[in-house]
Amino acid sequence: MNPGDPDASRFSATAADRRGERDLDDLLIHVARGDQNAFEAVYDRLAGPVYGVIRRVLRDPSQSEEVTQEVLLEVWRNATRFDPAVGGAATWVMTIAHRRAIDRVRSATAAADREQRVADVHTPHDEVAEAVEASLDAERVRRCLDALTEVQRESITLAYYGGYSYRQVSEKLEVTLGAIKTRIRDGLIRMRDCLGVS
Amino acid sequence: MPLFRRSLHSLAGAYALDAIENPAERDRFARHLERCSSCAAEVRGYREVATAMAFAAEAEPPPAMRPLVLEAAAHTPQLPREARTHARPRGVPGRVTRTRAARTPWVPWLSGAVATVAVAVAVFFGIAQAHTQDELNQAQAENQAVSLVLSAPQARLVSQQTTAGGRATVVLDASRHELAVITSGLPALPAGKVYQLWLIGSTKITSAGLLPEAKAGRTAPVLASGVVQGDKLGLTVEPAPGSSQPTTTPILALPLPV
Repeated sequence: MNPGDPDASRFSATAADRRGERDLDDLLIHVARGDQNAFEAVYDRLAGPVYGVIRRVLRDPSQSEEVTQEVLLEVWRNATRFDPAVGGAATWVMTIAHRRAIDRVRSATAAADREQRVADVHTPHDEVAEAVEASLDAERVRRCLDALTEVQRESITLAYYGGYSYRQVSEKLEVTLGAIKTRIRDGLIRMRDCLGVS
Repeated sequence: MPLFRRSLHSLAGAYALDAIENPAERDRFARHLERCSSCAAEVRGYREVATAMAFAAEAEPPPAMRPLVLEAAAHTPQLPREARTHARPRGVPGRVTRTRAARTPWVPWLSGAVATVAVAVAVFFGIAQAHTQDELNQAQAENQAVSLVLSAPQARLVSQQTTAGGRATVVLDASRHELAVITSGLPALPAGKVYQLWLIGSTKITSAGLLPEAKAGRTAPVLASGVVQGDKLGLTVEPAPGSSQPTTTPILALPLPV
């Protein structure tokens, strides 16, 4: 890290600090005690990314709204199971959000819609570029994705933003299953290092 | 089994991104994680990457979602810190939740959507307001009455404020064309007036029943069937004992996502 970089102090902090995750951990612990004000604060911090990632996976706005509501209620209801020793609050919530979006994508009723959705999927890199706003997170993520090989980048974005299974990614990119598993993992290792995830 | 190990470990990335579609394969890896702490740490690191990607995709949810979610949370009991299977209900919301979960194995413990809706609605439907054993029994009976709707894998929760104040919340099972309605905070009516629910279709309007008298501002669930695509749920004030067609302007016309 270049010490002359005005952002250096931010970038030397842990990923958790950058997202203010320490506070979030505390907030979620208060939520687990039934504190509705804390839940309101958690909502204000996380509803945007929760909705954003669900919408990216599902695309359909009304389904995305439904799943977002379900996820946020699940956060309230299951906050008692959050263990800050295992991982940060933001990660806990986003893991639930992404999984619920994927559950919806893979549910039987969604299967038909999905065929349609597959047809109008953009190339992964454009999707990322589309999402990039002024936010620091988006900028850092874009920069780190750019540093990956093309197959790594496409595998990760198709899987995470596109909601594709690694088998579907392998078909789409015409790469063997074994290679796709490895590319996803190698890409995530590079992303982890690039983002400064501890 | 170094070869097996290596191929299993290579799944860590796909697992962290929820990209393993085959449940058996996913479960096998999840079991492996329980025994392999370095693998669990690896997956956690990848999930932090995924979290950064989620923040990068941030989008503004509709403003109407905020009060809806906060209101639902305010009436939803939280899971006990440790689930026990032999607990007996004592009228405490948390315990009731646990009992419901034990009695209704169709709610997979971690299948969030339906379980969450079920719990939210269980409480909307009165368990949280129960102060005596009788009230609790009554609330539980009402819950059983709507358990069919709640058990639907595609059960959906929609909610809207009425133009007269208060809010109607609907659990909809589109596959069975059924719904359950509860309300909170509707204005009290003068004697001789009732609230009546309607299914408003493009060609006809059918009565979906009267709202029961509110207790502590909330009404017990009303079940309705025969919901079809394009229907809206209407609510009007009618002269007792109700009308065959609406005679006043609906204070609610909630589109039903069938």
